Amino acid sequence: MSSHKPSFIESIAEKLRLIPNLHGGTDADLPPIVEPGELTNYPPPDKWDDWVEYEAKSGQRREKKSYMIVPTTCFNCEAGCGLLTYVDKETLNIRKFEGNPYHPGSRGRNCAKGPASINQINDTDRILYPLKRKGKRGGGDWEQVTWDEVLDDIAARIRVALQEDRRNEVVYHVGRPGHEGFMDRILQAWGVDGHNSHTNICSAGARFGYAIWQGYDRPSPDHANADFILLISAHLEAGHYFNPHAQRILEGMMNGAKLAVMDTRLSNTASMADYWMPTYPGSEAAVLLAMASIIIRERLYNENFLRDWVNWDDALPELQSQNRLRKRAASSTEKTMHESYESHEDKFSDFILELEKYYSEYTPEFAEAESGVPAATIIDVARRIGRARTRFSCHNWRSAGSGNLGGWAVARCLHFLSVLTGSVGTVGGTSPSAWNKFKPASYNTPPAQKFWNELHFPNEYPLAHYEMSFLLPHFLKEGRGKLAVYFTRVFNPVWTYPDGFSWIEALSDDTKIGLHIALTPTWNETAYFADYVLPMGMASERHDLTSYETHSGMWISYRQPVLREVARKMGRETTFTYETNPGEVWEEDEFWFELSWRIDPDGDLGIREHFISPYRPGEKITINEYYQYIFENTKGLPEAAAKEDLTPLDYMRKYGAFEVERAVYEKHMDLAPEAQLADAEIDAKHGKVNKNGKTLAVIVDGKARVGFNTPSRRQELFSPTTADWGWPEQAFPTYVKSHIHPEQLDASRNEIVLIPTFRLPTLIHTRSGNAKWLNEISNRNPLWMHTSDAEQWGIKTGDLVRISTEIGYFINRAWVTEGMRPRVVACSHHIGRWRREQDARNNRWSTNQVTIDEVEPGKWKMRVVEGIGAYKSDDPDTSRIFWTDGGVHQNITFPVHPDPISGMHCWHQKVTVEKAHPDDAYGDVFVDTEKSFAIYKEWLALTRPAPGPNGLRRPLWLGRPLRPVEEAFYINDEKK
Amino acid sequence: MNFGFVIDNRKCIGCHACTVACKAEHEVPVGVNRTWVKYIEKGTFPDTRRLFSVMRCNHCADAPCVEICPVTALFNRKDGIVDFDDRRCIGCKSCTQACPYDALYMHPAEETAAKCNYCTHRVDIGLEPACVNVCPEHAIVSGDMDNPNSEISRLLARETVSVRKPEKGTRPKLFYIDGDRASLDPTAANPDTDYMWSSQSSGVGHFAGTAGSRPATTQSGVNDSRDDRTNLLRRMAGSNSPRRVYDAPSKGVLWGWEVSAYVWTKAIAAGAFLVPVIGGYFMDVSFRMKQFGAWMAIIFLAITGILLIKDLGRPDRFLFVLLRPQWRSWLTRGAYIITGYGAVLTAWIVANYLARDGILIYLEPLGILLGLLAAVYTAFLFAQAKGRDFWQSPVLGLHMIIHALMAGLAVFLIGDLWVKPNLGITIVFAFLTSALIVINLITLIIELTTTHSTEDAHTVVTMITRGRFSYQFWLGMVLVGNLVPLLLLITGQSGSAAISGLLILIGLFIGERIWVRAPQLIPLS
Repeated sequence: MSSHKPSFIESIAEKLRLIPNLHGGTDADLPPIVEPGELTNYPPPDKWDDWVEYEAKSGQRREKKSYMIVPTTCFNCEAGCGLLTYVDKETLNIRKFEGNPYHPGSRGRNCAKGPASINQINDTDRILYPLKRKGKRGGGDWEQVTWDEVLDDIAARIRVALQEDRRNEVVYHVGRPGHEGFMDRILQAWGVDGHNSHTNICSAGARFGYAIWQGYDRPSPDHANADFILLISAHLEAGHYFNPHAQRILEGMMNGAKLAVMDTRLSNTASMADYWMPTYPGSEAAVLLAMASIIIRERLYNENFLRDWVNWDDALPELQSQNRLRKRAASSTEKTMHESYESHEDKFSDFILELEKYYSEYTPEFAEAESGVPAATIIDVARRIGRARTRFSCHNWRSAGSGNLGGWAVARCLHFLSVLTGSVGTVGGTSPSAWNKFKPASYNTPPAQKFWNELHFPNEYPLAHYEMSFLLPHFLKEGRGKLAVYFTRVFNPVWTYPDGFSWIEALSDDTKIGLHIALTPTWNETAYFADYVLPMGMASERHDLTSYETHSGMWISYRQPVLREVARKMGRETTFTYETNPGEVWEEDEFWFELSWRIDPDGDLGIREHFISPYRPGEKITINEYYQYIFENTKGLPEAAAKEDLTPLDYMRKYGAFEVERAVYEKHMDLAPEAQLADAEIDAKHGKVNKNGKTLAVIVDGKARVGFNTPSRRQELFSPTTADWGWPEQAFPTYVKSHIHPEQLDASRNEIVLIPTFRLPTLIHTRSGNAKWLNEISNRNPLWMHTSDAEQWGIKTGDLVRISTEIGYFINRAWVTEGMRPRVVACSHHIGRWRREQDARNNRWSTNQVTIDEVEPGKWKMRVVEGIGAYKSDDPDTSRIFWTDGGVHQNITFPVHPDPISGMHCWHQKVTVEKAHPDDAYGDVFVDTEKSFAIYKEWLALTRPAPGPNGLRRPLWLGRPLRPVEEAFYINDEKK
Repeated sequence: MNFGFVIDNRKCIGCHACTVACKAEHEVPVGVNRTWVKYIEKGTFPDTRRLFSVMRCNHCADAPCVEICPVTALFNRKDGIVDFDDRRCIGCKSCTQACPYDALYMHPAEETAAKCNYCTHRVDIGLEPACVNVCPEHAIVSGDMDNPNSEISRLLARETVSVRKPEKGTRPKLFYIDGDRASLDPTAANPDTDYMWSSQSSGVGHFAGTAGSRPATTQSGVNDSRDDRTNLLRRMAGSNSPRRVYDAPSKGVLWGWEVSAYVWTKAIAAGAFLVPVIGGYFMDVSFRMKQFGAWMAIIFLAITGILLIKDLGRPDRFLFVLLRPQWRSWLTRGAYIITGYGAVLTAWIVANYLARDGILIYLEPLGILLGLLAAVYTAFLFAQAKGRDFWQSPVLGLHMIIHALMAGLAVFLIGDLWVKPNLGITIVFAFLTSALIVINLITLIIELTTTHSTEDAHTVVTMITRGRFSYQFWLGMVLVGNLVPLLLLITGQSGSAAISGLLILIGLFIGERIWVRAPQLIPLS
């Protein structure tokens, strides 16, 4: 406060040394970087190597600190937002994270989790060294080992498995990838079909719904330019890609767009909406189809788009036959029936008429009866969507798609509205994700594996969108296979997945799982049951490349180990990231390179050859070379770097992100490459270009265009695939009644539906459990219920309640609210973490201490012994914890509910809610895994297994992660 | 230049990024916040809405915290920002009482006050505050309101904006676009201990690490329970009462027993000297009596000083109050008054011991002046505490003078046994005490029944007379502290004078406790 003038008394007192002198000479003030009265957001990049600012905590003392600012990418959720890391040049500690203005997706801004990354770096309970279990698995006894020992041990086991052709026993199971394309290379280099993921408890439902339309499994809405936005999601608070999407949704709204949100619960997102449509869970598709029906009936559809880009040719006969069967009639008075089918023009009109008939049952009144949303609202929203035309953007990621049997139909029906309005790929519309996502070039692509791992893609689920990961414990129980080497990577199925006790049973059995390696930045409930716990770095401690469809552009973002980069800039060379990370925390990229190298010391397994440097023949590739190659082959990046006299790698080290494309729209209209069209036949009538029985392109406006990624290269309103693979009744966008439809609930037994999946804007699954600033904001998860239900049950806010599922129960507290639809209860995710007495003290901002007992075989009881509490550590904040309630673990009481088509786990649970019993304690959990196995069997019986046409396990055109060779798609090699 | 904030509620999504970015920038301790987001729910399904309200310092043009801070630890910058200097802060916590917006907190380790300071360490080099940078929606707008072309000026010119508590005269410079009364008025939806995703079971800030400091939950004082049934009935009766569903933890009652205790000891210190010395002008008061009074006064003044210093967060800096004076603050003025009074008392005692009567004649009027000021200054200090409407009462000063005189008389009623005044004086003192009790009751009635100018003040009255303090008030203050001694004095029982005096002192102690504590239970944010 250099401008403070001391009073006479004060100056005398200071001179007499009675009080400290606060007016002594201070250093020169730092010069401002802009004109007075103006303010800018970020230090300019030319000062990032030596940025001086005042330390906030020094207050008026105005202490100067010198920083090196190094960009990286947040590692919390999948949005991959940019971060700037401030490294104190004196102490080499990270002081804070801010946003990276050069990141085209996040544009310098972050959600709460971004700046909280520093908490995760500084967590005093962090795992700093590789750990190996001592004693029984799950016993909680660990010893520190070296990375060398770890690599040698694991490499040897993988080697043996490969040599003995037990290739399906080597599995990498990922929770949060946070990178593009890296692991596929590794696994295919090893020659294993070993990729398992979490997608089927996450977004597989919505993905199937989108993929079956257009071959791309995710939407990329252009909210900023929309006139009407419909979310079946909560993108103003959670989900992929929350921060960048939230920015653009509000931009659109401030420009006049209206927002409608379908959500059973008053989410923060629904609160900001112009239309909150509190649908009964699982009824969303009915509402969407009622809206589609209005758009069709009132002729609000985009005729050109339908004509050119929908497979109505194939759809028409199917519509006609189905309409005849069900005796459907059009409600429009325009009954122009064309008996003669000579002109194609007329056939399109017939198509519209048949379409109208087909969806005539989906009246607003029907939708109101199913959903509870007033018919007038449905009509209003439908008309607004129709009028928005190409500027209608929408999104379903999880939400109803992940909760319900047939949840995939939500995305199928939502995208139907995009198709009807012609807003696919348009400005203000919804594009396929792949158009806004960059695929990095690889210096080397190993051949695809030649076989199929049925533990991941079993025959019962031929259309499953990703791996049937959550059925793994049940598959192991049934003896379908076993695992010799099993990696769980940023993945916590014991806690996050349904039926966690089945996971504990499977993980505890070393005959089923030979070696369990947990690659994780923090302790978690799954790591307790590992053999190796290997600490992998956080946002500023690892290398990754990310690219996500956050908006209409396309970008890449680089995640780099910041202290290693600082060391490099200061002239210190390093070989491995653990040399500069805290303790010996490493990173996966380098770990996989080293492991792969050691699996194949002589190269005789054909693995080493995939890890040779593209720049130094015969030498092992380094991590910098890996990324150097990617950046050298990113469109536009070498040119941008050259302008600043930088190599592409140095450019990315400096800026952290690069905009590959500013705006991408309507890529389906791109001209098909000439080379492809050579020797192809043109079917002018149907507007197709075919070769060898496959359609290569679509003729629109007189030119051959690439179209979409489906067999017909068009949007498949009628899905021949769905019909051919056993589900003809669902070949058109349709409404599937949920497993928790009111017809399935016994009102006399007070059965009600629980929504267990809602997320908080401050937390990310279980990875934020050690972020103190996030946990002081959000730390409990009471059961939300509407006032009328609470009254009926005689329950008040704060009362203990017992929520019973099909396989067990949990005891929670009630939260009575008007922000919830009656006849539905909800409980949030993230919260209810635990550790047992034998486990390391970890995540103490969020974990309860519990006892777990198998009271009888398969009958598990968990009880909270101690909630969260203040404790002493090197961080003074740990003694300031002011909450004890760590919430309740609900997911573990849910049986698996695999949707027979998409393979998605249907999260919503049929439950009964009652006052807690006298012996119940808050946080109690009980599960019977024998019951959960029986329910798995019940749902398995709903499937219509492969083989499909031609003896295939799975349609060839439907994408598959870690795609094997085509031969492997045939069961028993019965290729026809 | 005149910096201010606009919070654009059309865009705020309540994501708490600002909360955490600020924590990161300033390494704010767990439990307290310089900025936070309050969630209010209103309506009945399906017409329900959740409102998000960013709460922080309003950088008032006429900041009461700056006015009350005795050591200029809080100050206005020329560019309009209200900043603070933790090197100067003595931890007296007056600012937490002065701020009507709950903006300040006590650092748990430093025990000095802190708040949003607009990131002046960034502004001084040309950078936006950390919260402005991080907000995904650019819902926090900072800038120079004197520049008509700045974004903030244009927003203020074109949009409807509202501020928190404009009636306090603080002239806040944080403006909400789309502000809602349910969020801006803290008592529209009262705080709780358990929210939709958080709960508080122990103290924060000043009380960090202690089980103490239960959060300040208040209703009207009439019904303190978080009874959903009551809420439900109210709702069914048609009042869609908004509900607070998420908030930062409560910081507790920061002026605790030390403060009410020192008000009491100070009253005794003032009265014990005032009574004999003023009385000496009208009656034959012995030197022995005056000596007794002077000693009682100085002893209790010393205890007052000890309590004052003990209450400071930084007692090692207590000299700052005198040596870094901020003259507008009544805490500074009071410190000088007490020091002066103490000096006069000391001089009187010494002069009396040395039998320098000539000096005594000049010291006594000085002592009366300073004694009266010592008694009454706290009322002015409390009135500067703009966060506590109940204290902003003109009757408070009158209370303090009456209490001081009552306390002084009580001391003599008790000390009768040692001092042995003549019978005439004893009777006069008894009569004066009774009269003062009656006047006290009258002023109490006036204070508590006159319609108060704000709802918050009225709520305190209800709390005192019918709510959680009603037993202490009616039994302790009115009955034991006033009515019973009055009765005893009137009926003139021998030996009862001492008991009356004791009861009066007890009643005064209880009264100060209620008066200091109750207003701090009204939520400010």
